[in-house]
Amino acid sequence: MLDTAIAVETPEGILLELRPAGLNARFCAFLLDWAIRLAVMYAAAFIAAFIGGIGMAFWIILIFALEWFYPVVFELTQSGATPGKRVFGLKVVMDSGLPITPAASVARNLLRVADFLPFAFGFGIVNMLVRRDCKRLGDLAAATVVVYESRVETTLAPIEVAPIAPTMPLAPEEQAAIIALAARVPTLTTERLDELAALAAAVSGDRGRTGPHVTRRVLGVAQWVLGHR
Amino acid sequence: MMTPLRFEQLYQDEWTELEGLLDQAGGRRRGTPASTSGARLAALYRRACEQLALARARSYPAYIVDRLERLTTRAHQLIYRRRELGLTQLKDLIARDLPRAVRANLPYVTTATAVFIVPTLVLGVLVYWQPELILSVVDSDTASSFEEMYSPTAASIGRVREASTDWMMFGFYIRNNISVAFQCYAGGLFAGLGTLFFLAYNGAFGGAMAGFLTARGLSSTFYSFVATHAAFEITAIVIAGAAGLRMGHALLAPGRFTRLDSLVRATRESVVLLYGVTAMLCIAAAIEAFWSSGNWLPPSVKYGVAAVCWAAVLGYFVFQGRRAD
Repeated sequence: MLDTAIAVETPEGILLELRPAGLNARFCAFLLDWAIRLAVMYAAAFIAAFIGGIGMAFWIILIFALEWFYPVVFELTQSGATPGKRVFGLKVVMDSGLPITPAASVARNLLRVADFLPFAFGFGIVNMLVRRDCKRLGDLAAATVVVYESRVETTLAPIEVAPIAPTMPLAPEEQAAIIALAARVPTLTTERLDELAALAAAVSGDRGRTGPHVTRRVLGVAQWVLGHR
Repeated sequence: MMTPLRFEQLYQDEWTELEGLLDQAGGRRRGTPASTSGARLAALYRRACEQLALARARSYPAYIVDRLERLTTRAHQLIYRRRELGLTQLKDLIARDLPRAVRANLPYVTTATAVFIVPTLVLGVLVYWQPELILSVVDSDTASSFEEMYSPTAASIGRVREASTDWMMFGFYIRNNISVAFQCYAGGLFAGLGTLFFLAYNGAFGGAMAGFLTARGLSSTFYSFVATHAAFEITAIVIAGAAGLRMGHALLAPGRFTRLDSLVRATRESVVLLYGVTAMLCIAAAIEAFWSSGNWLPPSVKYGVAAVCWAAVLGYFVFQGRRAD
């Protein structure tokens, strides 16, 4: 399979699909988080400079907290993602597809030190590139995975075509393919749609023929298969 | 005959209801009371699972399967969510889980202690015997600044010149020491070699400093300074190292598990130790900044308090939570 999707089985016996996020998306999210942390640090530095001694102490503690616990705090919220990850539609989940546990979040973020070695996240990047599920070392040890959160909402645009009964018996996969063609109508050019419909022309008894007329008949079969009568 | 459209018509009320319940439980809809019916949600979730299995088996159109996948994924996340944060868990952690985890990992704790202590003693004796050896560990400026920090005439012991207050040193100690401990832990991912290196390195550095300052006749300020917070700091760093060694050993000798499963298990178990390490290093930093550094206290008082601290820390790890064993 070309797909990087991971299937996880639930106790109910169904397979849920996780789509791991690759290096590119995660790097963008990392840059954004880094910029946010930097901004907070600078803002706090100004305030700390006014307060003096104790202010400086809190500033150093703040740097420390941002360095180690910024991701942990955000990963344990409802969204399971740092602000950077949220902007790019990513979230951290357990291998089982469940929300990340506090222990796993702590582990994966403390182990970032190991990913950073030998320099500039070398081990982490190599690991993400060679693994299909794009995990860095911290993810491996903590059994977590960074996934795309939202799935694309697919809809079926209504088409004004009269339903036609297919002229041959259709296997479930064939029915699905015809309906999928109908669902793609709004995104295809007329020419491309005609070409694709010509491949399926056998279903309406138009094998070998092509053109807008055949396309309408194939889409008619799609309507019939969907359940329109 | 069952067609995709009829399937959708039959069940879409349930799907809408489940979506509503999920929004409510997830807090996405404001103003609704948190009286989400858990039983109803679970029942609808199980039905959605069945319907998803059916829809997939019958190759129903993508928009139906996708909608069911979205629904079941969200409900699955909500229903099987594990709550691990809370005051009860914190109490259990302190009263039972942490000391038990340390005892359960005793071989690793012992090894980590040895790897830390042996270089400390070796370098300590070496540098005491030949003080100029300190220059092979740090440069001369650093050495003389350490000498200055621990001189009996210093305004505040152990403070670097740029720091103006104890508070600033507190922040500095927290950041520095916890980072060292976390490095010791994370190094375990490299078959434990990183952990061994960081433990030995930090032990050697501390030993060299102690040897050098003793040779310079500053032993009373230096030892009375480190004795108290060392009870927390050295113990914490050794425990962090033990957690790292646990991971490294799990990778090298996975036993009946796959290497990856073995690592995941070891990591999950070692995190408890890390909670303890973080807390202990915060205590250590507070002591180091506000108590150890005060040169108005006579060394005898500091040694007394240090003895109490050591006894308390060791006693905690040896005896606490035994009854639950």
